[in-house]
Amino acid sequence: MGKGKPQIVNTIRTLRFHAGEMTQAALAEKVGVTRQTIVAIEQGRYSPSLEVAFRIAEVFGRPLTDVFQYQAEGA
Amino acid sequence: MSFKQWSAVIMLAVAALVGAWVVYDGLTGGAAGPASAVAARLLWAGLVMIGLNLAAVIGAAIVAAIVTRKEFHDEAADERDRAIYARSMRNAYFAVSVGGIVTLFLVAFGYDASVAVYAIFLGGTLAGAVGALSQLVYYRIG
Repeated sequence: MGKGKPQIVNTIRTLRFHAGEMTQAALAEKVGVTRQTIVAIEQGRYSPSLEVAFRIAEVFGRPLTDVFQYQAEGA
Repeated sequence: MSFKQWSAVIMLAVAALVGAWVVYDGLTGGAAGPASAVAARLLWAGLVMIGLNLAAVIGAAIVAAIVTRKEFHDEAADERDRAIYARSMRNAYFAVSVGGIVTLFLVAFGYDASVAVYAIFLGGTLAGAVGALSQLVYYRIG
């Protein structure tokens, strides 16, 4: 939840595809959030807490930095 | 839209409806009576507001379940829901504070206590509307 251009990008959509086209609802269920929250995270409209970010990474069996990347302003 | 967003839409609609009625009532002589009578009438308006909200939420859940052929119910709130709720409540608190200050000014400048009762009620109604509208906006933007 931030203002302006999101600086944290993610690869959740790609990771879901490689996980057998896992649905947003299935991911939400595994992470313990609502499907709307997964949609908002995927679209970069909401930056999750560290705990939820780690749980998403755990679902895909990847390190956190494979799922979320920070883009410094102007980079 | 999720159940929480539909609930916010309903809350906003009910607040607009009751708020419009209160303004109409106040402008058409309702404020002329004693403050106790005005307060009693607005207490009933508050109860109607709660009843309308409950009936509309239940009705919307039933209609949505029939149309989508799926159970339409509220999900447990997650961190984003709680953050949106907290930010919306902050905005609502601001609105109710403005309502309180306006009420104090009305009394300080010699307006009748009946007018102050209307101002208090409208401040609360406005806070409800601001809270619901804020939720809808935050669910859209982040």
